This record gives sequence, C-alpha cells and structure tokens, in this order.
Amino acid sequence: MKTVILSIFLLLQLTLFANDAKYKEQMAKQIQIVYQSETIEELQPAVNALDRIASAEKTKWEPYYYSAFGSLMMATRSTEAAKKDGYLDAAMAAIESAKKINANESELIALEGFVYMIRVTVDPATRGQQYSSLAFQTYNKALNLNPENPRALGLLAQMQFGTAQFFGASTEEPCATAKKALEKFETYKSENVLAPVWGKSITQGLLKNCK
Amino acid sequence: MKILAALILVSTCAWAQTKVSGVVKDTQGEVVIGANVMIKDSYDGTSSDAEGKFSFKTDEKGAHILVATFVGYKSFSQAVTLDGKEVVLNIVLQEEANVLDGVTISAGSFTAGEEKRRTVLKPLDIAMTAGATADIAGALNTLPGTQKVGESGRLFVRGGDGNETRTFVDGMVVLDAYGAAAPNTPSRGRFMPFMFKGTSFSTGGYSAEYGQAISSALVLNSKDKAESNQTDIGILSVGADVAHTQVWKRSSLSGKIQYTDIRPYFGLIDQRIDWITPPQALEGSAAYRTQVGKEGMLKLYGNFNRSSMQLYNHDILEPAKKQSYDLTNTYQYGNASYLQPLNENWNIRGGLSYTYNENAILLDGKPIGERESGTHTKVVTEYAANDNLEWRMGGEVIQRNYEAYQLNTTTQESQKLFFQEVITSGFTEAQVLVHTKFITKAGGRFEYNSLTNAVSVDPRLSVAYKPGKKGQFAFAYGMFRQSPKNQFVRLNHALQSEKAEHFILNYQVITDRKTFRVEAYYKQYKNLVKFVNGNMNDLNNAGNGYARGVELFWRDSETIKNVDYWLSYSYLDTERDYINYPTAAVPTFASKHNFSAVYKHFISALKTQVGATYSYSSGRPYTNPNNTQFNSDRTPDYHDLSVNLAYLPKPNLIIYFSCTNLLNNNNIFGYQYSDTQANDGLYKSRAIQQPANQFVFLGVFITFSKNKSVNQLPNL
Repeated sequence: MKTVILSIFLLLQLTLFANDAKYKEQMAKQIQIVYQSETIEELQPAVNALDRIASAEKTKWEPYYYSAFGSLMMATRSTEAAKKDGYLDAAMAAIESAKKINANESELIALEGFVYMIRVTVDPATRGQQYSSLAFQTYNKALNLNPENPRALGLLAQMQFGTAQFFGASTEEPCATAKKALEKFETYKSENVLAPVWGKSITQGLLKNCK
Repeated sequence: MKILAALILVSTCAWAQTKVSGVVKDTQGEVVIGANVMIKDSYDGTSSDAEGKFSFKTDEKGAHILVATFVGYKSFSQAVTLDGKEVVLNIVLQEEANVLDGVTISAGSFTAGEEKRRTVLKPLDIAMTAGATADIAGALNTLPGTQKVGESGRLFVRGGDGNETRTFVDGMVVLDAYGAAAPNTPSRGRFMPFMFKGTSFSTGGYSAEYGQAISSALVLNSKDKAESNQTDIGILSVGADVAHTQVWKRSSLSGKIQYTDIRPYFGLIDQRIDWITPPQALEGSAAYRTQVGKEGMLKLYGNFNRSSMQLYNHDILEPAKKQSYDLTNTYQYGNASYLQPLNENWNIRGGLSYTYNENAILLDGKPIGERESGTHTKVVTEYAANDNLEWRMGGEVIQRNYEAYQLNTTTQESQKLFFQEVITSGFTEAQVLVHTKFITKAGGRFEYNSLTNAVSVDPRLSVAYKPGKKGQFAFAYGMFRQSPKNQFVRLNHALQSEKAEHFILNYQVITDRKTFRVEAYYKQYKNLVKFVNGNMNDLNNAGNGYARGVELFWRDSETIKNVDYWLSYSYLDTERDYINYPTAAVPTFASKHNFSAVYKHFISALKTQVGATYSYSSGRPYTNPNNTQFNSDRTPDYHDLSVNLAYLPKPNLIIYFSCTNLLNNNNIFGYQYSDTQANDGLYKSRAIQQPANQFVFLGVFITFSKNKSVNQLPNL
C-alpha cells in the first residue's frame, strides 16, 4: 500500500512539475515573441497564446500581463484610432483580470499607466487632460507599491518629458527621473523569473535628449 | 501495483490526441484573421490564419467547451466532444453591437460624449467654440436644427419657441435652465459645460423617457468621481471664481464660487441700455459623488445663484419718459441621482430634483414678479438581456407650484395669480438589435395632468439601418406634449397640453475623424395656445402650426493637420397660427436659412489654440403696424464673426481671450413699435439689439494640483 501511495504521490509531483515546466517554457516562448515582434500579424498569435495560458493557469498574473503588453504594442502599431481603442480595451480587460489575481503588483499598475499614456496619443486634444493626469497618478501608485520598479520610473520620466517639452519648460526633472530609472534598470532584479524586463532602451532613448 | 498500472494507462490514454480544425468568418462572410480558437481552461488552441483557417491538436479528452475570440467581436463558444475523432467547425463571429462601427439610433440626436466612441461634439468642443462664450446653448447653436435668436440666448429648435427645449441633468428635469436677463438681452445657461461628461442634444424624435418638451431635449450627464485634488482660480474681466476638488478613495467633492460684476466692463464699453445698476451675480455650486457598496453610485449636485440689475425703459415716442425696471433673481437647484446594478442583466436608477426660481420684478415700484418651485421624482429599471435586447420602464412625478403678480391694465394695480400642477407619468421602451445592420427602439409614454384631469398616451419609434461599413439611414417618429407657458396657464388652468408630432429621416456617414449628415423632418403642431378674438386674457387651445426643413452637417478634423472645423446649414419652412396671430404666419423667432462655420487650430509652436466662428441667419419676421399685413416685414440678415484664443505658457496657466462680432456688425433682431401713432400718423419703431455689438472677455486661469500638468482647459 505504501508503494501505491508513494507512486501516486510521485506521479502527482511529476505531473505538477511537468505542468510548471510547460508553463514556464510556453511563457518564455511567447514573451520572446511579444518582445521582438514588429507587426500586428506577429503579435496577435502571441497574444492569443498568452490568453490561452491565462485561461488554463488561473492563479498566474503574468500571462495576462504579457497579453496586455502585446495588445498595447498592437495599439501602437495600428494606424486607425478606432482599432487602437479596441486593442487598448483588450489590454485593459487583461490588466483587470490580472489585478483580480494580484492587485498589488507594481508591474501591472505601471502597465495600466502605459495604457492611459497611449490613450492620450489617440486624441491628444480631447483626452490629454483626463488621461495624462490618470497616467501620472497610476505611475506614482506603481512606485508606491515598489519604488524600485524601473519601468514605472522610466514611463513617468517619459510622461514628464512630454509635458515639459509641450510647454517649453525645463527638462531637468524628467531627465533626473530618467537617470534614476536607468540606474534601477541596471540594479533591479526580481525574484520572479517571468518578471518583465522591457523598457531600458526607451529610457536610454529619452536620455539622449538630456544633456 | 494494479492501481499504478491503471494510472499509467489513464495517462497514456490521455496522449491520444484529437484534431480540431475549421474556419472563422464574420456575419458578412469575411474571414477573420488572428482569431483565438481554444479549448477552454487549457493550453490547447491556435490563431486563425490569413484565410481564416485553424487547426490544432489537443490532449484533452471528453466533453469540453471550444471558445473563439477576437477584438471587436462577441466571444463564441460551443460544446465539443474530444474522443480522437477530428472535430471540424465553421465558426461565425458576431460583431459586438454598438461598438465603433455598429448601427445606432441616430435620427434627431447629436451626442457629445467623452473620449472614446465616435461622437459629433465633445465637452471640450463646447467650451472652445468661438462666440459661444463657454455657454452650452451657445455652442449647440452652431449645430443644424437651431435658429439664432440673438436677444434670447435660448435654444430655438426647428420652428419651436425657446421654452419648447427642455434641459435634463442626470435624467432629472430642470425647470428653468437659463439665468435671468433683462428684456431683450440674451440669457446664459445655468450649467457649466465642464460639469458634464456627456451631452446629448436631440432636435426631435427623442426617447419616451423625456416628456414635457415638444421640440427638443438637452440631456446632460454629469461627471463621475473626480480623480485628483486640485484648486482652480480664475480672474476674469467681469469677475472672479475659485474652485476646489477633493478626492477620497471612494468619493469626491467639488465646489465652486463665482462672482460676476459687469460694472467695470460697462464703464469701458458703450451700452445701448440705460442701466441704473448693471448685472451682478453671486453663484455657488457643489457636487459630491460616492460609490455605494460594490457598484452603486450616488451623485449629489446643488447650485444657488442670486443676481440683480436695474435699468430704465424709455418710451419710444417720448424718450424722456422712462420707467424703472428692477430685477432680482434667486435660484436654487438640487439634484440627487442614484444608480445601482442589481445583477448582470438588471439595474435600477432613480433621482430627485428640486428647483426654486424667483424673479422679483418691480416695474416703477409695482411688483410683477413670479415664483416657481417644483420637484421631480423618478425611478427607472433597466434590463439588458444581451447586446440584442434592452428594455426599460419607469415612473415619474413632476410637481410644480407657481405664483405671479400681474399688472391689471385697467386698475394699474398688481394682482396675484397662481396654480399648482402635478404630472404623473410612466414610460416603457424596448430596443432590439434585429440584425447587426438593423436596430429598432419603440416605446410609449403615459401622462396624467392633475390640473386638466387629462390622460394621454404618446408613442415613440426609432429605427436605423446600416447597409455597409460607414453610411447609416435612420427614421424617427414621435408624439410629444408639454404644458403651455406659465404666463398662460396662470390665466386659464383648463388649458390642455400643447402637442407636436415629429417625422424625421436621417442619413449619416461617420468615419474616424470626419462626419457627414443630412436630415429632413416634418413637424405638426396642435393645441397651441390662442387668444380668443385677440384678447390676451381669454385663451384656448385652437392654435396650430407646422415646421419642415432640411439640414446638413460636415465636420472634418483630418484633412488639415491640427485643424478641426465644422459647417452646418439649416433650411426652415414654418408657420403658426397661435397667440395673437390673426392668421397662420412665420413666427418672429424663425429664420429661413441658418449657417455656421466653426474653425479651431492648435499652433504647437505658439502653445496657442485659436478659434473662429462665423454665423449667418436670414432675416426674421416682425410686424410693422404701419403695414397692414401681419409679420410681413423682415429684419436685415444676421452676420457674426467671433474669435477666441487660449494661450498656455505653463502647464497650469491659461490666458483666454474672446471677442464676439469682430467686424462690429449692427445686428437687428426685430423692432418694437410705439403703442400710439406719432404726429405724422405713423407708429415709431425701435430696433431690438444686443446691449453692445461686441463682447470682449479676458480671463486668467490658474490651477494648483500635485501633478503640474493639470490645467483648466476643459473648464473654459
């Protein structure tokens, strides 16, 4: 009997281990595609795959996170305002699902801010006011949850820079934030192997405008 | 060991795969590329390819659910049995209704919503339209279906009088939505555009939910909970204001106090009015929003206003003879509305509003003022079965108390008149998306009026058909009624409701940043108030009339970079036989041709938005007693070119300048005539004009908030 129980236990362990390995492998593959794809045609299947993983892995926020990130990338690649909004809606829906699993994940909140920032670009005249203040607030919220989050800092710098540039104000503050963000990009290491790592090049690009 | 063997066997069995394949199309038969096809709660699935085809293998066994999704489409699901035998599916995805390219109810209405969805006008457009001076009615007057009536400032829609447009805030009626003004001077709306997240201006054929309006419904939806703390200060050429917003986790409170004093301004600019004391006003408003429970939302709004002015009216024949006119207006409005979703399909909303409006008027010291107070209570339940069927029904009670002093022409003394009216109504309406291309909304409204003991049922119907991706045809029909003006009901309590029947045909094409629309209508007026044998104290409902016309609208913010412009044109043919009219005639507020061109240009290099509005109206009728034919003379055409400029030197600072009637046209809205003939046997006239041809406004707006990018641009 002991052997039987042990066998069942081992088998279960094995299945669980296999499942986890499958999850990590699948995630790594899709994350790679999301990071490297340039077109909607390439991004859509990856987002779909991530949505499938999310539907199977009910306790993991990361599949939703990358699905949202992929949808956000599609929004930036799309040329039609209505389509952009469609992708942003999809991104927001995925973020909301992820927040139900882990409401205090700084990375999720930072990504939510990114969605607001892209909302502004669809119709700056009408949305500038509402969404830029929402984006600022959301980035600050992400930083409250994790002051080390380089993406929250980098995006905040981006937002500050855009505002300063529009009003012809000094770019001292945004540049300081960007510099701090770059430091965090160098030093910050998450324990989560699936944690996002994007954003460094955006901040480096921004810093090129700083003297 | 047997058990272990069995387990291994089960595991092995699971490796026998099932192939799932097929094609994904939409309802038009077009292939859908990139749709996500999957076995629910599993890793297994794929995306449809460039031909809409998909094929994948799954390890899952037994009964499962197959799901297909794509952005902009409803998700598709179907039960499948996975037993190693290939599953082949033809999936048809339904477009999500009312999203982006969906068919919508459009005849008769202009929706000015927030941000996302394609709308004709946005709240910021209202604030930044030159010539509108940030007045909601002023901006809506650049849309087709409206007539410019410069001396009133109200919305005159499709041959209807100004009182035939009714304003609703969060579904609750506002008894007097315009501020007090001296005779023949334009009044401003009492509500600031920035308070609202969405505005729906309907020029006919509106929902059964809105009653007591026979020409037009202006439905304003207030903003939800504010997102950030801020303080705003405005220093204006005609006064000052200060506002503050405080935000908590689940609620927000905003308040504003404004003081207006036109005296310093009038010192600079010559006025046609002989003021004793020019208008001054103190106004305050507060809004509180809070979430209740998980999904409930309670909104409270209150507004008070006190304004006063004194002036002399001069006799037309003998200008030295003058009469003093002293007006003090006290206004209070309160509104509470509550929305509570009950479950996925049902929600309930309700509200209570209270209006108090007093015009204390002294004419040479004798009171001729009026006072009205009223409450409106309403409860609505809404049911949405799915995207294809929505249904709602509701009940409401509008109660009004009115009293007034009228000068008795024989005794020259004031006498008191009053009435009390209770209107109890119920309405029901269903919206059915018959097909992705065809939508219909039908309903009816029941009313009981306590004053006349009259019971009525009015039908409403709207349909829309969208044959292709862009263009849409729509039709609306409805019967509308409202109580006659207070000045008539106070004399005769038995007067029936005035009625109008609307027929509207509409065609519109809306793309991302362009809108084209054309609308034709026919309107039949019945039961209008009529003076019996021209006697203004003897009234009945024998009046009638008609209005018909064609309107065009074009808006384009795409063709020229950083430029947004719109053009509207309205043609109106209308006649009425009502009040003192001896026969059917074109009413004095109606002009045959109305045209507006609005232009806005943002110049990034200068951090400045400039705007210009040109308005044209053909001449309006007036009666010249020296001419035997009634209402047969016409005023000169009306022209107005207004400009505005908003300069943003810093993120939290705006300098705003506007000037109406830049070309200083001498616009005339009509003529008043002397009661008696002059020595030469002719009646002498005086033109009805604005107090000054131009209005120049300069304001500086500063905002203090934690994040420095916030400014008051949306508030202007």
